[in-house]
Amino acid sequence: MTTIVRDKKYRDKQKRKDNFISVFIGFFAIVWIFPILWTIWTSLRPYNDIISYGVFSWPRHLNLDNYFNAFRQMGLTRYFLNTLYVTVPAVLLTLFLGSLIAFVVSRYSFKFNLSLLLLFTAGNMLPIVLTYIPVFWLYIKIGDLFGNRSLLYNNYLGIVLVHVAFQVGFATFVLSSYMKTVPKEISESAIVDGASVFRHYWNVMLPLLRPPLAALGVLMSCWIYNDFFWALILMSQDSKRPVTSALRQLQGEYVTDFNLLAAGAVIVAAPTVILFFVLRKQFVSGLTLGSTKG
Amino acid sequence: MSDTEKGISRRSVLKGAAVGGIGLAAGGSLLAGCAKSKVTGDINFTIRGNLSDAGSKIAIAVNDAYTAKSGNKVISQAVNSDDFQNNFVQIMQGTPDDAFGWMAGWRTNARADAGLLADLSDQVAALGSSLSAAAVQGATNPTDGKQYIIPTTYYPWGLHYRKSTMTELGLNPESIATWDDLIKLCEATQKKGLVGYALGDKGGWEAMGTFDILNMRLNGYQFHIDLLNGKEQWTDPKVVEVFNYMGQLIPFMNKNVLDISWDGMRDLLLQKKCGAMMMGSWFANDFLAKSQEDYDDLWIVPFPEINPEHGVDSIDAPLDGIAVAANGKNVEGGKELAEFWGSKEGIDAAVAAGDTNIYISSEFDSSSYDAFNNQKLAVLGAAKNIGFFLDRDTRGDFAGPVVGPAIQSFLKNPKDLTKILDNTQAQWDALPAL
Repeated sequence: MTTIVRDKKYRDKQKRKDNFISVFIGFFAIVWIFPILWTIWTSLRPYNDIISYGVFSWPRHLNLDNYFNAFRQMGLTRYFLNTLYVTVPAVLLTLFLGSLIAFVVSRYSFKFNLSLLLLFTAGNMLPIVLTYIPVFWLYIKIGDLFGNRSLLYNNYLGIVLVHVAFQVGFATFVLSSYMKTVPKEISESAIVDGASVFRHYWNVMLPLLRPPLAALGVLMSCWIYNDFFWALILMSQDSKRPVTSALRQLQGEYVTDFNLLAAGAVIVAAPTVILFFVLRKQFVSGLTLGSTKG
Repeated sequence: MSDTEKGISRRSVLKGAAVGGIGLAAGGSLLAGCAKSKVTGDINFTIRGNLSDAGSKIAIAVNDAYTAKSGNKVISQAVNSDDFQNNFVQIMQGTPDDAFGWMAGWRTNARADAGLLADLSDQVAALGSSLSAAAVQGATNPTDGKQYIIPTTYYPWGLHYRKSTMTELGLNPESIATWDDLIKLCEATQKKGLVGYALGDKGGWEAMGTFDILNMRLNGYQFHIDLLNGKEQWTDPKVVEVFNYMGQLIPFMNKNVLDISWDGMRDLLLQKKCGAMMMGSWFANDFLAKSQEDYDDLWIVPFPEINPEHGVDSIDAPLDGIAVAANGKNVEGGKELAEFWGSKEGIDAAVAAGDTNIYISSEFDSSSYDAFNNQKLAVLGAAKNIGFFLDRDTRGDFAGPVVGPAIQSFLKNPKDLTKILDNTQAQWDALPAL
């Protein structure tokens, strides 16, 4: 009898707690989703409505004109292609190099193993804006050395390399954490069977790395897709810049039509959102990857 | 491009024409008579703006006209204006386009001193008397007396208001002549429950327009320019006086001055919520976009006289033009293209493409202007001295980071004036030499 009463009391208490948490989470969900909803709302209203009646006025017109105009003005095909030229090689190269370093760091013991890993992680912590001027001059000087200024500067190669350089640290960190969870015995039997170092990496370890590679690939694609900074400063030609800079095409010297810009932002953000929903599983596993052992 | 054509250089002919006093009419016909230029190769051109806006279409039309005349292909690209300005030094040191739309004033002169811009003195000389002395003066780098920009267009900063509001209040809708008139206007609009003097200074630069004009009205153009170049002190009682006048306007301002940008000011006027505002007149198309009546209602006058000694002899009229990169692939081509932009043919091509900007050249034909645009010309014509706006008349690392916040803190807390001015002067003194 007493146990039942206590259970009921306990259940009620849990219920109250759950309700409280739901309200709490709900509140923050609204706070987070508000800017997105507001962007979509803004994108549906014509510019003239806003300047005539104010941002918070009751809408006189709602339509998709901003989307059509944004599509027309941004030249999206070209910019999406540019993004592809940068993102695909950068992600593949990052994953390849990252897995190579992770493999060495986690499977072989060198004196500098830990410091090497630290170096890569520390590089990740460096705010990229600090490296802007040095990277710029590095690219110019290397270009001059080979008699072609556009070797790295104002060239896809340069953008790809700078992304690889900045992402490889994180990839190494995550992949080496994951590799440490793979039983040593697998490696040992591979070595006993006479596998060379590269075969050990390519035929034994790499297939096992498929889940973290998929998760990392998705994360990095999003990050590189969203990059605006490097493309802006290392590409002097606008026609070579990625899709994020297409948005800048919607802003004038003085007048910016924020309704049009909102529509453009929704268009540009759409691929990453779709990517997220299609590959949700990889995303979530990516967030917790390697967190159990490190 | 055969060698025989090099016998007479087009430029030397032009110079001869200018020196000989034959004038540009003759120069123009010589230009037209010369089928091919001696410069060859593609020219790259940067447009500050987006490809779909009117400005880009006009720029491309001018470049096409140049191609038709010279046979040199011009490859135009449009870039975001802010991005181009902010990364200008890097872009110029990398692989810059040969020519680009740019701004006269500090932004040209300092970059020219750093060796990033090509000397265009020959081109300015070739354009000769079509450019007014004031325009050439404005485009001249004080350090070496050379020109690094071909001045093309400008626009006035003036007092904007609606004529209908003035008529309703029983004031003269075509002029606000004195400070008392302005105060009367502000009081009357405020009594009606509106904002008297609209101001938005969220960006930190909008109120510079008010500061500039008050300083030029009270202390004259020369003092203003000297102050901005460190030859006068910010702690001077004359500067205090400028802020006192600005302080008189604060009670008439909207309460959210620091929360709205220039477009917020525009909206106040567009929605008939304010009396007057001090602004550059680039926003008139937004009135036209709303309705023809709104556009016809819009008016601009010079900021009223305060000190009779200086009258209304000065104005802020930012001067734009074409500059050429010193590190470009085709510097000579860029120079020739820049000169074409300033010539009669270039201006005609721009106007034919629908340009409503005011060209500084005397070759510019304004006969198709409407009432508002003619009034803009009148406002510009009333002034003898032309300032370029604070952020082009002084160092870039002083205008935005120091003066902008200083005016903002004054608007927030006018009582702190002494401290603010001391601080501003201290920050000027602490700037490294260029």
